[in-house]
Amino acid sequence: MRPLFIFLLTSLLSPWGWAADSDTLNSPQWQFVHTRFLKAEPYQFDGAVKVEAPTDAEDSLNVPISFQVDGLEGIQEIVVVADLNPIPQVLRFRPKEMRPHLSFRMKLQQGSPIHVAAKTADGLWHVGGVWVNAAGGGCTLPSVGTASGDWTKTLGQVSANVWQRPDGSNRLRVRVMHPMDTGLASGIPTFHIENLNVLSEDGKVLAELDLFEPISENPMLSFDVPKQTQFKLEGRDNNGNKIQAEVVQ
Amino acid sequence: MKSGDLFRKVLLASAISLALTAAPLMAAVTDQDIANDATTPNDVVSYGLGLQGQRFSPLDKLNTETVKNLIPAFVLSYGDEKQRGQEAQPLVHNGKIFVTASYSRVFAVDAKTGEELWQYDHRLPDGILPCCDVVNRGGALYDNLFIFSTLDAQLVALDQDTGKVVWKEKMEDYKAGYSNTAAPIVVNGKVITGVSGGEFGIVGKVEARDAKTGKLIWMRPTVEGHMGTLDGKDNGITGETNKSWPGDLWKTGGAATWLGGTYDAETNTLFFGTGNPSPWNSHLRPGDNLYSSSVLAINPDDGKIKWSYQWTPHDGWDFDGVNEFISFDLKQADGKVIKAGGHADRNGFFYVLDRTNGQLISANPFVNKVTWAKGIDLKTGRPEYDDANRPGAPSGADKGQSVFAAPSFLGGKNWMPMAYNPNTDLFYVPSNEWGMDIWNEPISYKKGAAYLGAGFTIKPLNEDYIGALRAMDPKTGKIVWEAKNKAPLWGGVLTTAGNLVFTGTPEGYLKAFDAKTGQELWKFQTGSGVVGCPITWEQDGEQFVAVPSGWGGAVPLWGGEVAKSIKHLNQGGSLWVFKLPKTTS
Repeated sequence: MRPLFIFLLTSLLSPWGWAADSDTLNSPQWQFVHTRFLKAEPYQFDGAVKVEAPTDAEDSLNVPISFQVDGLEGIQEIVVVADLNPIPQVLRFRPKEMRPHLSFRMKLQQGSPIHVAAKTADGLWHVGGVWVNAAGGGCTLPSVGTASGDWTKTLGQVSANVWQRPDGSNRLRVRVMHPMDTGLASGIPTFHIENLNVLSEDGKVLAELDLFEPISENPMLSFDVPKQTQFKLEGRDNNGNKIQAEVVQ
Repeated sequence: MKSGDLFRKVLLASAISLALTAAPLMAAVTDQDIANDATTPNDVVSYGLGLQGQRFSPLDKLNTETVKNLIPAFVLSYGDEKQRGQEAQPLVHNGKIFVTASYSRVFAVDAKTGEELWQYDHRLPDGILPCCDVVNRGGALYDNLFIFSTLDAQLVALDQDTGKVVWKEKMEDYKAGYSNTAAPIVVNGKVITGVSGGEFGIVGKVEARDAKTGKLIWMRPTVEGHMGTLDGKDNGITGETNKSWPGDLWKTGGAATWLGGTYDAETNTLFFGTGNPSPWNSHLRPGDNLYSSSVLAINPDDGKIKWSYQWTPHDGWDFDGVNEFISFDLKQADGKVIKAGGHADRNGFFYVLDRTNGQLISANPFVNKVTWAKGIDLKTGRPEYDDANRPGAPSGADKGQSVFAAPSFLGGKNWMPMAYNPNTDLFYVPSNEWGMDIWNEPISYKKGAAYLGAGFTIKPLNEDYIGALRAMDPKTGKIVWEAKNKAPLWGGVLTTAGNLVFTGTPEGYLKAFDAKTGQELWKFQTGSGVVGCPITWEQDGEQFVAVPSGWGGAVPLWGGEVAKSIKHLNQGGSLWVFKLPKTTS
C-alpha cells in the first residue's frame, strides 16, 4: 500500500509529473530532492538529459560526472543532486551563451543516485540520472590541502586549457585550487567555492555556476563553449575570498 | 481546480518574497541608530553601548532591589573542540543577538528563544600569529551587515539574516605578524578599525572604509615617519620622521591599535589608543617613540591627527596604551562642565584629559603599587620616572639588569573595558595587583618572528587577591570602593541606571554590585571563566542581560606565578542570557 500512496501523493503535488516516466533509479529520497531542490515544481523524467558517470566509483573523493542536455530549448538552470549524500546539492548551472554540457568531479559519501534536472522556460524540470556505487566516506574526510596546511599557498589559483572539438566548437577546462571542505570532517569548518562565472573576453556572462560542498577539492570543470579562446573567470568562496582569472592562449 | 490552486500558491509565494525583501530594509541599522545607541535600550548596536564607550544603560527595572530575581533565560554553546578565551561583547538588534567567539567565529541567535540562526566559521590559516590567545572582542552592525575582524587580519561583513559573506577585505599580511581581534566601530557610514601585532614589529594604523562595500577611504599610521592616505592619495606623514625614533627602528615601530577605539560626536573625534613600541627593549630606541603608548585624537572625515597624548613616553615595560578612552562630562564644583575623557592605563594611572585638546587634567594611581614612575607631572603632562626601575640594557650577548616593576606588563588594567555611570559620576575599573621581574635581551627584527628583546615573570603582589573591581571618582582621583577577587579580573564592565555594576570573574561568576557602595548583590556561576563583556537591553517589557563565558585570554598564556590562582579553571564557550521576569521587576 505504501509505495502506491507515495506515488499518488507525488502525482498530486506535481500535475505534470503525472505523465512522466517514474524515477528509474528508484531513489528513496526523490520526493525530498524534488521538494527541497526543485521547490516542488512540475517535472518529468526525460531522456534528453543524459548523465554519464562510472557505475562504480574508484575514488569517492573524485567521482567524474558529465551531463549534456540536448534537444531542449530555453534552459534556465540545471541542478545536480546526489540524493544520498549528507549534503545532496552538488551544483547549479545557468548556461547563457554556451551549451548545457558540463563535466566535473565530486565527492560521494556512499552509493547514490545522481540526478540532473534542467528547467526549461515553461517552468518544467526535465530530469535524468544515473546510479553510482561507491565505497564511501568522501564527504567526511579532511581535504588534502587542509590536512597538509598547503591550501594557503595556492588558494584561488586558476589553471585552464582551451582546445578545439571535432565539430569546430571549443572546450574550456578550468581548475581552481580550493580545499572545498564540507564542514563534516571534525574540527574543520565549511569552506567551499560558492560561485564561479565564465565570461567572454569582453565581460559578457557565458555561464553562471553555484558550487556546493560535494564538489571535489580543487574543482576541475569542463565547459562546451563557442568558438572563443579567451575567457574571464570570476567567483567567490563562502569566506568572501575572490577568484579572478583570465584565460588566454 | 488544480491550476487555480497553483495560481494561488504562486501569488502567496510572491507575497512572501515581497515581505522577505522588505523586512531587512526596515531593520537596517542606520547612522542614527548607532549615534543614539546609548539612549535606546531596546537594542545594542555598537561596541561600548554607544560609541563614547561608557557602557552605561539607562534601564532601571533591574536595580539593587530586583537584581536578586535575575534568572537565566537560555544559554548557547559555541560547541567545537576549539574553546579558549571568549572576550566578546554581544550586540542585539531586530530580535537577534550577534556574538563573536574564539577562532574568528560568529553566532546569530534568536533573542526570544536562544535558538541559533546561523554560524560563521572563518577559515584560518595554520600560520596565524596572535600574541595573546585566539580571541575576538566583537563586531559592528551597519545596514544589514555584521562586520568583524579576524585573526588573519581580514575584515568580514556578513548578512545579518543569513550569515553569508557580503564583502571581505584583507587588512594586512598575517605572515608579517598582523592579526585583528578588536571590535570595529561605525561612524557616519565608515567602519573604523585598528590592527594587532605589536609583538612582531608591525606598524600600527587606523583605517576607515565604506561600511557598505569595504572600500578603503583613509589610513593613518600610528608611528611617526609613515605616510597616511586619503582616497588612495598621500595624506601627509604621521608626525616628523626621526624626531622621536633613532635610525630605522620606526620602520618596525609597533604602536599597534589592537583594541580599536571610541568616538565622540560632540567633538567629532575618534580616540584610538596605541600599543607598545617595538621592541620591548627601550635602550635600542632612545626618544619618546611617538606615537606609541598614546591616545590619538583623529578626525573621522580625513584621518588627520587632531592631538595626541602619550601615557608612557619611551615605554620600557610593555605598558602599551591601547586601553579605551571614554568621553564623559567632568562636573566641576563651580557647576562648570568640562568635555573630558577617562582612561585607566596598564601603567597603573587613571588619567582625565580635556578631550577637546588633549590637556592633562589629572592622573592618579588606581592600583596600590606603582614603581616605574613617582607620579605624572600635571604641568608637563610627563611621568616622573624612577630610573632604577627601568630594566637595564643588555651588554653583548648577556641579558641586562633585571628589575622588579609594578604594575606588570599585563597592566593595572588590561583590555577589559571599564564603564562610566553618569548618575554616580564614577568609573568602574577592572584592575589587577601584580608586578614583574623584567630584563632586556639582545634582539633583531625578523619578519613574522616575535620582536620583544625582553624576558619576564609575573608575580602577584598579595596572597589573597589579584583582581579588584574599583570605583574611581574622576573629580578627585580617589578610589571610592573596591571588590577584591582572587584571580585576576579579565572581563568587561557594565553599569546601569538601576545603580548596578556587572562584571565577570575567571572563577566563572557573573556578578552584580551596588554602584554606590560596591556591595555584591547577585552572582551566577556560568561554568567557565567570564572574560567577556556584559550587555543589557529591554525586550517585550523585560530587562535582559547577556555575557559570554569561556576562560582564556593572555593570563593563562603569560601569567607566570599567577598560575596558582588560575590553573584549575576550565575552558568553555557559551553565551549566557539572563532576564528579570515581568512578575518580579
